[in-house]
Amino acid sequence: MENRNQYTEIEDFLADPSFQLWVRSKVDQQDWEDWTLGNSKMAKVVEEARLFLLAMKIPENNLSTEEIKSALESTWIKIEEKEKAQNKNVKLVKIWKNTWYRSIAAVFLFGLSFTWVYNNYFISESGIINYHDLIKENELVEQINNTSKPQITTLSDGSSVLLNPNSKLSYPKVFAKNERKVYLSGEGFFEISKNAKRPFYVYANEIVTKVVGTSFRIKAYANEPDIEVLVLTGNVKVNSNQKIKTANEKEVSLLPNQALRFERKNFTFNKITDITQDRALAKTLCSTIEKINFEFTDVPVDQIFKTIEQAYLVEIDYPREKLKDCHLTTSLIDQPLPEKLKIICKSLGNNSNYIMNGNQIIILSNGCN
Amino acid sequence: MKNLTISCDLTDDSILWKYLKMGDERAFSKLFEKYYNHLVHYGNSISSFPEKVQDCIQDVFTDIWVYRQNLDESVVVKAYLLSSVRKRISRLQERDHIFRQTTSIDSINFLFDFSIEYHLITDEETTSKVVRINALLNELPPRQKEALYLRYYQGLTVEQIADNFQVNYQSANNILHRALVKLRKEWKHEYLLILLLSSNIH
Repeated sequence: MENRNQYTEIEDFLADPSFQLWVRSKVDQQDWEDWTLGNSKMAKVVEEARLFLLAMKIPENNLSTEEIKSALESTWIKIEEKEKAQNKNVKLVKIWKNTWYRSIAAVFLFGLSFTWVYNNYFISESGIINYHDLIKENELVEQINNTSKPQITTLSDGSSVLLNPNSKLSYPKVFAKNERKVYLSGEGFFEISKNAKRPFYVYANEIVTKVVGTSFRIKAYANEPDIEVLVLTGNVKVNSNQKIKTANEKEVSLLPNQALRFERKNFTFNKITDITQDRALAKTLCSTIEKINFEFTDVPVDQIFKTIEQAYLVEIDYPREKLKDCHLTTSLIDQPLPEKLKIICKSLGNNSNYIMNGNQIIILSNGCN
Repeated sequence: MKNLTISCDLTDDSILWKYLKMGDERAFSKLFEKYYNHLVHYGNSISSFPEKVQDCIQDVFTDIWVYRQNLDESVVVKAYLLSSVRKRISRLQERDHIFRQTTSIDSINFLFDFSIEYHLITDEETTSKVVRINALLNELPPRQKEALYLRYYQGLTVEQIADNFQVNYQSANNILHRALVKLRKEWKHEYLLILLLSSNIH
């Protein structure tokens, strides 16, 4: 628009973004109003261009951010499928043409069948499955907490996991279409985003925990004799891993405030219907996130942020001055951390948003409504 | 607050494109989120199957990521995306045509009708002029309409439109120019006539 003084044709104006903005949205950043008044020679062409744009309205489509997000997610799934298919096709065809590789393949196949036999007979005989056995078959991202404090991990579906020290979690970058599988060694508190079509499975040593959207804690250290599953909200089903043929095939359903202790040595499931009566469990609960109340009634936002900081051991940076008079009434129970932040930002209004990077959270806001 | 918003500068397309080429997933996601809506809009203007449109666009992005190493670094991202979507939709429609055994060669047809920004118009005189221009615009051949849409709605340059239509610069320029010349001629003609008539009455 600096060279608008050289414009001669109607096309010049039509193509000028600031001119378009002025006509279509009445946003006059470049003072077109004044400019037209000062350029009487061009006034006719300008008027014509304006009429053209007014006659050229196009139906708009505005996809919501959610729709775009889900489109992005399905694109990642497509990418994963395509990459898998390609690796198989291109490489295998090339390699197969070489007889030398064919003999290697034969040996490899033999080895593979041996491993299969081993997995099916020997492992099930000893009955112990470790984290390493579980994750080796899959391409996964691994989160290890070597620090002395619990650490937050968010997953691609919006779920969050608070991982205890000396614990590991493996998960795919993008979950499959019909299920979400993660692998745990150690202890973690899970808050799962609700999606009935994609059940969420936690593989932990010899047991598999299945949920659709809820919060619970699993404690499954490789060197401890028991595995514990403790439910805070929702409904959880626990099975033994199918690799163990000898274990009694049994499914245990757990409701809120119920727990399960699995004895690894003799494959027994012990359901605990009153967790306050179990001293070991009651002890874990005293010091953890489950104790924190996420029900807020007319509470200042900085208080809510402080609660989240303590619960998830994160740091939240927010415009203190702008949010100092904001109070919220909301329930954040049973929501993964990203969901909690989203709800807060939505309640604040004014296009408030958040950025999350590891345990650092930044709230962008211009104050509340 | 100020130091927090600095990161927003990373929205520059060519930088994001470069990062995408290096395998940065966040750059990919940013570009996706930035242009998905535009692409769906364009796709729906040339295909009447909204679901297939979204599918095609996701396929375009899938290929961009899978073959990112072969991407040209110097492209104008938006123009590149629009023309990739056009190619894919046209390929899909050609395939459908073969199955239906129809003979149409140029399978792409611009489907949108231009409408009128009534809420921006306050006086009757402007309304009647705009209504007339609008009618003339909608009488243009689909290709000319599409060119106008790409030029003045999506903001592509003439070169980029030529690329998109797979014709040379001169042809693209002609398509656009012809559309406007025809429009202005007819409109002016009519307008003068109306002026003359109304002055006679007085």
